[in-house]
Amino acid sequence: MIEKGKISAFQMGVMMYPTIFATAILSLPSIIAVQAGRDMWLSPIWASTIGFLAVCIAYQLHKLYPKETIVEYSVHLVGRIVGKIMGLMFIFFYMHLNGFIIREYGEFVVGNFFVKTPIIVVIGSMVIVCAFAVRGGVEVLGRCAQIFVPIVIILILLIVFLLSPDLKPIQIYPIMEHGVKPSLMGAVVPSDWFSEFIVISFLLPYLTDREKGMKWGMISVFAVMLTMVLSNMTALFLFGINTVGFRYPVMVAARYISLANFLEHLESIVMAIWIVGAFVKISVFYYVIVLGTAQWLKLTDYRPIVWPVGFLLVLFSVWVAPNVQEMTRVVGTSIPFYLLSMQVAVPTLLLFIAFIQKKFRKKGRAKG
Amino acid sequence: MRFVKKAFKNLLGSSSHKPLNNSQQEANQQPTLSMNLNENLQALDSIYADCSDIVIHNFLIAGKTKALLIYIEGLSNIDLIHQHVLAPLMQESVAEDANTNRILQTKISVSNRKNVVTVVDVIEQISNGNPVLLVDQQRQGIALGLAKWEKRGVEEPMAESVIRGPREGFTETLGINTSLLRRKIKSPALKMKSIKVGRYTQTQIVIAYIEGIAEPTLIEEVENRIQRIDMDGILESGYIEEMIEDNPLSPFPQLLTTERPDVATGSLLEGRVVILVDGTPFVLIAPTTLASLMHSPEDYYQRFMISTLIRWLRYSFFLISLLVPSAYVAILTYHQEMIPTTLLLSVAKSREEIPFPALVEAFLMEITFEALREAGVRLPKQVGAAVSIVGALVIGQAATSAGLVSAPMVMVVAITGIASFMIPHYTIGIALRMLRFPIMILAGMLGLLGLMLGIIMIVIHLCTLRSFGVPYLSPLAPMKGRDMKDVLFRAPLWMLNTRPHLTGEENKYRQAPGQKPDPTKGGEHG
Repeated sequence: MIEKGKISAFQMGVMMYPTIFATAILSLPSIIAVQAGRDMWLSPIWASTIGFLAVCIAYQLHKLYPKETIVEYSVHLVGRIVGKIMGLMFIFFYMHLNGFIIREYGEFVVGNFFVKTPIIVVIGSMVIVCAFAVRGGVEVLGRCAQIFVPIVIILILLIVFLLSPDLKPIQIYPIMEHGVKPSLMGAVVPSDWFSEFIVISFLLPYLTDREKGMKWGMISVFAVMLTMVLSNMTALFLFGINTVGFRYPVMVAARYISLANFLEHLESIVMAIWIVGAFVKISVFYYVIVLGTAQWLKLTDYRPIVWPVGFLLVLFSVWVAPNVQEMTRVVGTSIPFYLLSMQVAVPTLLLFIAFIQKKFRKKGRAKG
Repeated sequence: MRFVKKAFKNLLGSSSHKPLNNSQQEANQQPTLSMNLNENLQALDSIYADCSDIVIHNFLIAGKTKALLIYIEGLSNIDLIHQHVLAPLMQESVAEDANTNRILQTKISVSNRKNVVTVVDVIEQISNGNPVLLVDQQRQGIALGLAKWEKRGVEEPMAESVIRGPREGFTETLGINTSLLRRKIKSPALKMKSIKVGRYTQTQIVIAYIEGIAEPTLIEEVENRIQRIDMDGILESGYIEEMIEDNPLSPFPQLLTTERPDVATGSLLEGRVVILVDGTPFVLIAPTTLASLMHSPEDYYQRFMISTLIRWLRYSFFLISLLVPSAYVAILTYHQEMIPTTLLLSVAKSREEIPFPALVEAFLMEITFEALREAGVRLPKQVGAAVSIVGALVIGQAATSAGLVSAPMVMVVAITGIASFMIPHYTIGIALRMLRFPIMILAGMLGLLGLMLGIIMIVIHLCTLRSFGVPYLSPLAPMKGRDMKDVLFRAPLWMLNTRPHLTGEENKYRQAPGQKPDPTKGGEHG
């Protein structure tokens, strides 16, 4: 195997949490609010079913090929040529997706804090840092996540706690004023975040305790779901239906914090700590790309391609969208279908093929 | 005379390939002593040519058998040599029939004696301060354990002082250091393996561990890494440290150095290996984690609540010493809105007349502070007072009123200074002092974002580090819940039932469970 490091299932769960959640906390509440209105806090619950599904699919496929990632076993499942094309699709897809993530991070930082800094500096510096982590391998990513995730969780809880005097829970009523439909519609966009859980199919082969992979994957989905509900509720209780008007509601909320007339305008600190979440997210996708590429090309080591891929990622982040308005529009419209088809439909298809093959093989054996 | 030169060559030559270990076979191949005393004398004469501190004493045993006594001035106890060796042997009143062997058996009243066969052995014994007695027509010489040289007594360690705890520290003498450990751990399970390293210095190194607690693979690994060292000399344990650590390009120390026997003993009992080096009071402890570098021995001598509190204070000041100057620069340059208005006004007022941007100001002051500290260490004690006077002027009111730096910056530097002194182990403190500067540059370029990127880089680096196979950040990452009790808190001693987990699972429990004191428990006298 190319990757010699090992992580525990718990570390994988911890790693996946910011991998899904880091960018969701920014723009998701307002995107959901457009469709779901006051029921925006319900949407993540519906959407999380996609996450549970993705973990299930990844785990089932992993059970069939316990030592291989999706790039490797797709060759076994659908034949050499189609499998290789599929692997390339995955690599390219994650390259594109990570470009989106990095751009989102860059636009957020530049738009809110470093207005005069060129976005390429912000993006480039982050990619360099991530490249160092990726070079360290999956072990280092797992450990970094273990250090950073508690900090991010404490930060989120602290924001909610410090905002509590301004929260008006009454805003939640009426629940399901227009039936289930708005909240279900609102669940479409967050479901593509949850579909990213298929990434664990790249991590499952490197677990020390494989049998717990499913359990911690599920717990991770559940934790993300809870956090999304929490962040959406906070936005709802604070801004009500006006959440739609803000691009980054949680960040605006952080501006509201005022403690003893001394701790004010904490958004910079919130941004600084949020960066560690973004770092884990970008690094995990970066790692998946690098590992997938190395496996696709059958390299003996993935480290030599870390820097070239990083360079490509910076370029992709510039290419994905001409400006931030266009990017937000894409995230709200075509991205969900793009992500869902690549991360749910294709793996489901693979699993389907695998089951059919298994049946045939059994029959063949029975006959023979 | 050829064998002499060969012997001498072997002495140097063999060590140039491999340090002279206790390997017996190797010794067997080396030239042995000659039967003829004159040949031996000539051999030693040529080896010790131009060594003015060598004493080669020619005398007659009982007035007839020729003999040689060789020792190095200042390394052997001359009084005892005269009293117990020379005086009894040189007596002429010995019975006529007694042969030399019998005289040697009966007359020398020294308990620690060793037979030496080869020239190399002779040289080694002499270098260690043991006088060697060579007798004519004898294949063997006798090394007498009469070494004695000037040594410093056991004193209180200078760099690691405690309020409560033992006051003794290691010294420069290996024998004293091993005895300090042995006095604390009486069990014969405490093993001490000896290795010699250094082509010329032949420095003795002792690897101490407790059999049954320390992982056998760990001991083997430590031994292998030390045996790989091939250099002219080992002057301090720092040489060993730099030659055996896992990542030589890291600013962080991967071995713990201490001059306190209680710290070394505690580490031994946790299954770690202690490396003692002759000639230095600083011993090395492997493997080391970041958490163990943040602990002070006093944590275990004080009440646990206070220790926990102090530990947290230490952790926060660890971050302060690394981050406060850069956070100040970042906030002042990029995020002024974070500062409360009144504070911002007073900061702005004090910075009004300062010609430098915050980054330059911070750099100036931090470098000055580092220079002052370094000067304080190097200067002779008589001039030391002058440094503190000048220092107070440079970092203080005078600097502020001269309009070079602002008063808040002076505060920041002072807090950083205090914070870096709070870290119990100097080696980790000095790493932080160094890392402060790159982070300051990052903060000056990208504000809090740069600061955060710097922190992430450091964390990535710490996550890749290992010390003898143990992850540097364990038990935080990878997380080991069982070991948190001695990292995030200092749990009461009666709860510290398990040893910290290093690599294997050897000997997990260190005490009987359920020892929480309780007067109702009663007992024999209850």
